[in-house]
Amino acid sequence: MMELKFHLYQIIVLIVSSIMIFQGIKNFIRGKGGQTFYKLIIRIAVWGGMSIIAIFPQATNILAGLVGLEGNINAVILTAFLLIFLMIFKLLSAIERLEQDISEVTRKESLKNLEK
Amino acid sequence: MEKDNFEKIFVVMPFYNEEKVINDVINEIKSAGFSNIIAVDDGSSDNAFEKIKNVSGVTALKHKINRGKGAATKTGIEAAKLLGAEIIVTMDGDGQHDPVDISNLIRPILNGQVDVVLGSRLHKPEGMPWHKILHNKIGNIITWYLFGLYVTDSQSGFRAYSIKAADVINTKGDRYEYDSEVLREIYLYKLKYQEVPIKVRYTEYSMGKIHKQGFINGFKTLYKMIWKLIH
Repeated sequence: MMELKFHLYQIIVLIVSSIMIFQGIKNFIRGKGGQTFYKLIIRIAVWGGMSIIAIFPQATNILAGLVGLEGNINAVILTAFLLIFLMIFKLLSAIERLEQDISEVTRKESLKNLEK
Repeated sequence: MEKDNFEKIFVVMPFYNEEKVINDVINEIKSAGFSNIIAVDDGSSDNAFEKIKNVSGVTALKHKINRGKGAATKTGIEAAKLLGAEIIVTMDGDGQHDPVDISNLIRPILNGQVDVVLGSRLHKPEGMPWHKILHNKIGNIITWYLFGLYVTDSQSGFRAYSIKAADVINTKGDRYEYDSEVLREIYLYKLKYQEVPIKVRYTEYSMGKIHKQGFINGFKTLYKMIWKLIH
């Protein structure tokens, strides 16, 4: 019978990931915190992916094969960087949109008397 | 120039915490013969707005929060359009621009030669600090590289627009990248433009203001310009 032996980091990652996924699902079901289906899928993919890699480190070999890099750790780091880059880009886009919206609202408010 | 021609000319002046000089700047604009002034307070924390809100000939507008020079200028231009402007002049509210130059700025538009007139400090850079000149030249090269138009003073806020140009130009930059974005729009919409030398008055007051374009703000402006291209 195969013996399952967990390191402390694996347990921590598993607990944190479970909490994050649970919170996401709970918020989505209750319609809270602006949780959309898209955000939930991303949350599950990121935290679920981390759990899978923590529990089954050999899964990184599959990722390495997919990415085309020899070292499995390199493949994980590269993929993580790409994901983080995409998230930052998305975040900056959202901030930019908000900034423009704030300016537009401020402008409309200041022109209110002229438009009457 | 006939005084009647000035009736549909509006001077847009964004300002931020210019309590000490704002009335003098307004009086100078009036002395130069321009009585339609739109002053946009960009969320100042001083009493500048209170000082000017009842001054005759001044349409005083206020941003409740600070949104940047570009956003305030755009608000002023929108106001000028609502008030029926035919020519819109934009200038800084800290007194560094001399309102006497407004006549030179609007002349090519009144004559129907161009759509936009850009005031250039680098035609007469006397008194301009060397680091400002360097900063400007770097800004000019970057603006040319990113937006396709080379001018001698890409960061000047002293400009004049025909109503046609004001209708066409659509900027999104809220801060100092606004000035460069206008050049992109001129290039994109093939607007006719001309550069006109302007005087700059670098006083102790204007040089001491912390919100002015420095190198750190320059990098922020560059980042914003690049972001607008890739976004």
